[in-house]
Amino acid sequence: MKQKSKSLIIIGVLFLVSALMPIILKKYHLSMLTEIMIFALYAVSYNLLLGYAGLLSFGHAVFFGMGAFMTAIALVNIPGLSLWNAILISLVTTIFTSIILGSLLLRHKGSYFALLTLAFNSLFYAVATKWREVTGGDDGLAIMRPELNLGFTSISMTSLTNFYYLTMIVIGAAIIFCWYFTHTAMGKTVLLMRENEERMKFLGYNINISRLILFTFTGTMAGLAGIFYAFHFKFVSIWAISVDMTTAVLLMVFVGGTKVYWGPILGAFVYIILQNYLSDITARWPLFMGLIFVIMVLYVPGGLSGIITSIWQRFFVKKNHNAGKASTAEVVTS
Amino acid sequence: MSDYINIQNIHKDFSGLKVLAGVDFKVREKESHAVIGPNGAGKTTLFNIISGKLKSSSGSVVFKGQDISGKPPHILNRRGLSRSFQITNVFQELNVFDNILSGVRSRYGRRYHFFKNPYHDRNICEKTESIIDEVGLTSAKDQPASSLSYGQQRALEIGITLSTEPELILLDEPTAGMTREETEQAIRMIDRVTTGRTLIIIEHDMEVVFSLADTISVLHYGTILVSGTPEEIRNNQLVKDAYLGEE
Repeated sequence: MKQKSKSLIIIGVLFLVSALMPIILKKYHLSMLTEIMIFALYAVSYNLLLGYAGLLSFGHAVFFGMGAFMTAIALVNIPGLSLWNAILISLVTTIFTSIILGSLLLRHKGSYFALLTLAFNSLFYAVATKWREVTGGDDGLAIMRPELNLGFTSISMTSLTNFYYLTMIVIGAAIIFCWYFTHTAMGKTVLLMRENEERMKFLGYNINISRLILFTFTGTMAGLAGIFYAFHFKFVSIWAISVDMTTAVLLMVFVGGTKVYWGPILGAFVYIILQNYLSDITARWPLFMGLIFVIMVLYVPGGLSGIITSIWQRFFVKKNHNAGKASTAEVVTS
Repeated sequence: MSDYINIQNIHKDFSGLKVLAGVDFKVREKESHAVIGPNGAGKTTLFNIISGKLKSSSGSVVFKGQDISGKPPHILNRRGLSRSFQITNVFQELNVFDNILSGVRSRYGRRYHFFKNPYHDRNICEKTESIIDEVGLTSAKDQPASSLSYGQQRALEIGITLSTEPELILLDEPTAGMTREETEQAIRMIDRVTTGRTLIIIEHDMEVVFSLADTISVLHYGTILVSGTPEEIRNNQLVKDAYLGEE
């Protein structure tokens, strides 16, 4: 109970702080914060695969891009499509894609799994590039944000502030649900998958089903991030479904750290800010991003969250041994 | 219909290498049955076949009147069969509680639930605690499996095997690598936790075998040399020549 109310307080405070941001921040920074939230969900969904299940995928952009492209394609081709229906269509498509890809990848592990996901990512990228009539090819697709229909009233999404609040609520809820997910039976099953798939089988777990559920869930969450990415930029280019987009999420997760839930959120924050400022200074910003990635992997394998956690433990958690049980719920590895 | 599990003419070839060449034996309900035999006799292969890890080349395993040969391990586990491993096979980074919990919640159908937190289910938690207590790991409950001593890891291995509340338990050399003292403790524990259940155990240690088993089968070069009570096995000339005599 104590743990539960603590979590609720943290969520409440974060909600209030986020809700005040449009008053505090300038438009440019508010836009950046919206972007951070979207990529935070993308990174969190990726870490459920990498950090929690120990599955290294090079194809996560397939789902992100699928969400983004389906949103754009639906809005361009179906006049008068509502915001909710655009989200619904894109989500359903992403779920189907995840189930199909997931079932093809089930039997493969380790580097085979990684390479196959890379191959699928390249395949989807090729389709997005070549199928110009639908995806716009290199030109991409430009869209308008439809207004938000709440039944009794409609809210225009043209203003950034309104769109920011929508993102905060929907993406925020998704991030919280992913966190909740790590405490559910299925979330614990994901940890078993990382630790010892062989043993799980002899305890009544169907490995294929466990993997498929996880793959579909993380794919869907990445798709939701992709949908909001399309709404945010009002434009979708083939970059959204490229291997670069997969590398971006890999970088965010590694910089933030895979060991704690909020690591990838921190990673997304740092990534988006760095990208924005570095790209102002130099056109060669990916080079610096790459350097940071190399340094992180070599010298800080726990990521920024790892550094913060160890500092925290050193200075603030000394006296209380019973706190161990509470913190194991937060730290994935223990 | 007193045959609870009936192993019929099991053959297994590994690309030409004959490991099992027609294994037959039966175990009655609630009996403790030991499979003994020299290294390389095919004991673990036999276990792998019964538990669904490997498919036999021919022959069948009949469990409670149903042919279970070739069924995957998770299905067999749900039907009440659980096994341990000769080489400790636990969830290393998880603590003892979570290790045992994994099987308990599986038994309660909480494998893939998206909303329920297993820690909040009283039945599941109590069952987990009681199994931890049975295998004597209560003091190490919050420790990660990787930090346990060897003996404790072996106890955890048995605890995980018990966690799905099986009717039929297969233990693969549960005391391998233990000291004399640890072995004695382990025998007492195994004897206690398997009461009222059917047990098939692979063992090298004759003391363990003779103190635990109601019946014994001797596996020798892929076939059962003889099956019988401990007394019969001890006095059997074939067994003495092939196996016991060497000790």
